[in-house]
Amino acid sequence: MAPVSLEKLTKVYPNGYEAVHEFDLEVADGEFMILVGPSGCGKTTAMRMVAGLEEISSGIVRINGEVVNDVSPRDRDIAMVFQNYALYPHMTVGENIGFALKMKHTPKAEVEKKVHETAAILGLTEWIDRKPGQLSGGQRQRVAMGRAIVREPKVFLMDEPLSNLDAKLRVQMRAEVARIQRRLGVATIYVTHDQVEAMTMGDRVAVMRAGVVLQCDKPQTIYDHPVNLFVAGFMGSPSMNLFEAHLGEGAMTLMLGSQKVDLPATVLSATPSLARFANKEVVVGIRPESLSIAGTKTQRGAKDHISFEGDVDLVEALGSEILVHFSTDAHRVEAEGMYSEDAEGLDAGLITQRGEGVARVPPETQVVIGERVKLEVNPTRLFFFDPTSGHSLAD
Amino acid sequence: MRFFNRVWSRAVIYIVLLAFTAFFVVPVIWLLFSPFKTDHQLVFENPFAFGTFANLAHAVHVMFTFEDYALLNWLKNSAIYSFGGIVIALICSIPAGYGLAHTQFFARRTLLGITLFVMIMPATALVLPLFLEANAVHAVGTPLSVILPFSFFPFGVYLAYIFYSSSVPKDLLAAARIDGCNEWDVFRRIALPLARPIIALVTFFAFVANWNNFFLPFVMLPNSTNYPLPIGLQDLLSATPAFNPGQGGQVPIYRPELAVATIVAMAPVMIVFLFAQRSLVSGLLAGATKE
Repeated sequence: MAPVSLEKLTKVYPNGYEAVHEFDLEVADGEFMILVGPSGCGKTTAMRMVAGLEEISSGIVRINGEVVNDVSPRDRDIAMVFQNYALYPHMTVGENIGFALKMKHTPKAEVEKKVHETAAILGLTEWIDRKPGQLSGGQRQRVAMGRAIVREPKVFLMDEPLSNLDAKLRVQMRAEVARIQRRLGVATIYVTHDQVEAMTMGDRVAVMRAGVVLQCDKPQTIYDHPVNLFVAGFMGSPSMNLFEAHLGEGAMTLMLGSQKVDLPATVLSATPSLARFANKEVVVGIRPESLSIAGTKTQRGAKDHISFEGDVDLVEALGSEILVHFSTDAHRVEAEGMYSEDAEGLDAGLITQRGEGVARVPPETQVVIGERVKLEVNPTRLFFFDPTSGHSLAD
Repeated sequence: MRFFNRVWSRAVIYIVLLAFTAFFVVPVIWLLFSPFKTDHQLVFENPFAFGTFANLAHAVHVMFTFEDYALLNWLKNSAIYSFGGIVIALICSIPAGYGLAHTQFFARRTLLGITLFVMIMPATALVLPLFLEANAVHAVGTPLSVILPFSFFPFGVYLAYIFYSSSVPKDLLAAARIDGCNEWDVFRRIALPLARPIIALVTFFAFVANWNNFFLPFVMLPNSTNYPLPIGLQDLLSATPAFNPGQGGQVPIYRPELAVATIVAMAPVMIVFLFAQRSLVSGLLAGATKE
């Protein structure tokens, strides 16, 4: 029996706006489930319905097999970590952590013991008598975690707990949160808009947009096999390069702007659906790390690699890698559904711009701004999408 | 040229500040010096001359013993009515403001609108209907006829509403609910302790309004033993030949004694303000910026 089960969960506000549409999800015991998507996609609303902080329009929420739609938040045996920590400012760290136990009329001695144990796990012992206003952001975040952990709930809910931290601290806390969750083995639903957190922390990821779950799977599976343009563009940083292209007869050639690219036969055999798009427009996607620059020391160069040319617009040296921003005369695609609230927006067509892309190359790669370079990619690393529906053409 | 402009603009600022200071402070200084002089010195000599401590002692003795310590009785009555009203006003307005800010119920917005409307109504306009109500329940002449209307403080409700809606995040209350609080616990353990600045602010404004209120007690309290300070002082002024020669009364109260009575009436408000000013500032600024 899954600790958390959502069946066709729906939220419609009084003004008619549907924030969550028939949301189905099961979170197994000990599983770390991530809900990821852009702002306004309904992920926080869905989680708040699980917590009992938001009224459910229709559908069922079960916790440990029991329907909890009409159960108050305090009786659901859940704990929640909020984006802005929501620590009680007039209580000390110790009082914050022990507050829920106090409300359950736990004996004082036991409360003290558990509070000190939890504080020790989180490295908060030194600050146990301080008020939240005297702590740093990272410390407050740990207090919020401690307040959730001490209750030993059936389910953890975390609403973008790291979004208020600086970049460096976020990386550190990400690991700490994942470590604590694994140690405790509690089913966890974690909401974030950061796809890096989604990729690194979750056992499974549910990508949401406009109140709908587009894909729910392991992070690497979503990354390697996105079901549509939105998921492909959302997961991965920098985003997948998406270009409008014309597929030739028998899927043997691809016109990227004015450039003709020959495709090996293995492309069609790997993606048989491409046959329906012969002599038609498709959207081709290439991950930045799949590209290498020909003629440089770091060229991956294999005989069956395909290539096209681009002009270098910008070079970003990050130390461990270089991001090469290039442009071609092919049209870049940005799925309208990424930004539109309308779930059917993908059918309305695609917004296109001049074909700008990004290649992620090793740090020793020598490129110059303004240079015309030959970009190579293994054809097995190409993604193809239907330009009308946005769906992936991979089987 | 820039230096000249700076000096000139500074001079203008200081002149304006001095003028306002003089306008507000000079009468108070004159008042504070008045009990140290005789009645004749007060009228005909330098208003800022000091006088003597003997004059002060005499004025204080005469004023406090007048009519069997009437001034102390008025002071006591003012304290009872004001603090009685404040206690009930706080008990009603803080939870009301919290409810308006953080709970959803039928006609919530309408109720908030009514609160704002009543807040801007002049209190004097309500005195007659309040008198009729008090008369109907035979409360006229009793302290309750003043304390209960004093408790009605829509401005306090509005201050509490503004504080709770801007300074207490909804997530904080949600966290309390998840941690096991019912709605009463959420208010008692989380919302109320956070409201210290606004409690101080509401207390101060309610105190000033109640302490200085003239018309309501004037209508409700016919018996002089129940008079608060403003009514008592007004009664005293109208019976004093120094201020009301046509009255023909033989009350031996002169201007220095009246100055003592006025200082006694002012002092509590100033003392409360001195103690509460830190809380007043934080209460006024609560929610001004996002934390």
